[in-house]
Amino acid sequence: SPTDSHIQYERVGADVTMKCGSMDWDAAVTWTANGTDIDESHLNGSYLILKNVDLTQSGQYSCYEGSSWHLKYQTYLRVGIPPKEPVLMCRSNNYPKGFYCSWHLPTPTYIPNSFNISVIHGTREMVCEKDAFPRNRCHIRYLQLFSTVKYKVTLTVTNALGKNSTTLTFDEFAIVKPDPPESVVAKPVPSNPRRLEVSWKNPSSWPDPDSFPLKFFLRYRPLILDQWQHVELSDGTSHTITDAYAGKEYIIQVAAKDNDIGTWSDWSVAVHATPWTEEPMYLTTEAQLTETTSASTSSFMPPPTTKICDKGAVVGSGAVAVCWTAGLVLAAYGVLFI
Amino acid sequence: MAAADSPSAALRRRDLCSRGIRLAGKMRSDVIDLLDAYVERQGLDASASVAVFEGVPVAAAEHWDEQTGTQRLLENLSAYRAFRSLLAQMLEEQREQLGEADAPLGQALAAVLLQVSAFTYHLEELLQLVSPGPPSEEGPGPPLPSHLSLFERKLRGLGVLRELAQWAVRSARDLRQLNKSSPGSSSAPSPAESP
Repeated sequence: SPTDSHIQYERVGADVTMKCGSMDWDAAVTWTANGTDIDESHLNGSYLILKNVDLTQSGQYSCYEGSSWHLKYQTYLRVGIPPKEPVLMCRSNNYPKGFYCSWHLPTPTYIPNSFNISVIHGTREMVCEKDAFPRNRCHIRYLQLFSTVKYKVTLTVTNALGKNSTTLTFDEFAIVKPDPPESVVAKPVPSNPRRLEVSWKNPSSWPDPDSFPLKFFLRYRPLILDQWQHVELSDGTSHTITDAYAGKEYIIQVAAKDNDIGTWSDWSVAVHATPWTEEPMYLTTEAQLTETTSASTSSFMPPPTTKICDKGAVVGSGAVAVCWTAGLVLAAYGVLFI
Repeated sequence: MAAADSPSAALRRRDLCSRGIRLAGKMRSDVIDLLDAYVERQGLDASASVAVFEGVPVAAAEHWDEQTGTQRLLENLSAYRAFRSLLAQMLEEQREQLGEADAPLGQALAAVLLQVSAFTYHLEELLQLVSPGPPSEEGPGPPLPSHLSLFERKLRGLGVLRELAQWAVRSARDLRQLNKSSPGSSSAPSPAESP
């Protein structure tokens, strides 16, 4: 019946001819596109001619008999393109349990596509179980470990206008790539102006770090510099940076790799930390002037004796006298550094 | 000999496992370097698929996680004993074929053969500790490749080195599993460890 849903797929740039159902060529008809009348210049008799169609011409096309306006034909035109070669990636982030493959199209087709994936290991065809989410991914359980036989994964994408495929061939070890380390924490070390303590956890997706241990790569730099420092760590999930610049904020990241095989993970989420610095002193008026002057020399560290002038520690007149003395000493220092 | 589950035996086992893991790691690294040199010197395609030749121990394992410690050691021992014979054959063939013209390749082969021999001995010690009893006997050894053409022997050599590289990784994993498992070495790992 004319109102049966009918979908017609056409390529971008194609010339499309639509017939008004079983109406004769010379019948008087009216065509509409999404409810809007189509100009007669697009008609050849009762046929609708669309030349060099583009994406904007997708929509519902209806044909009505001349005067009665009976609906004689209806179709939904979907303009699209055949699929280009899909992009396929396979990776094992949960070795030795299995691996997953995910894919996407480099450019959209604008019409529905279906994907079929096959996984062959030697002579054995393996099942790739599709994930519920995301939909463009499936996973395979390893049936064998330590095999030299390569895996061959072929992905075919099909739509109403064509098909395309791609194949990946790899061995078991090559695709092992853990997820980045988790819960990276960086903390200053009390009383140590050049240290930062960094700790992290194995990625939760890595199923057995005892039997399949990971090694780690840590990188860090002060925010004010572009160059990273690197440290490779063969065991443990913590490290103390001992050469940090005093008082500078650092950015730190960690990556992981299986101890024996595969490639490094992506870098973890970056964390920021600043090494411990001594708290600023609350001094007497003369000493405050000195502090203002000496603040221009960035590496100046007040001598330990000024601790006695700590606000919380000053009690009684004896301590006040010591404070004044220290204040004078500071003033002398300040003059020297101007 | 201390009982398999005595504290001293457990310490000795941990020590042997740790050293074995390091040996396997070094062996793998050297085998990979040797593979590159072998492919180049023998004029082979590094990406070529090689069929399994009779007598070459295949590292691939199904249900690997379900093996007991003793099973792991026995399989490893059998494999490395075979590799010891295979590498000795390869060394002999290489000397006949290329002679002194390729001393570096010969030296690299000999170095790996030495490591395989050392690792075999290491495994024998571990097996005695884990499963005391009469030493397991060597099998008849892989067949001599007298019927193979020169090209087939080269391919066989490629297969040997590839499988050896896989075995080196597997052995490190096996030894870690052994280190992890309880002192009763005949017990399989817990089901939670299965994929």
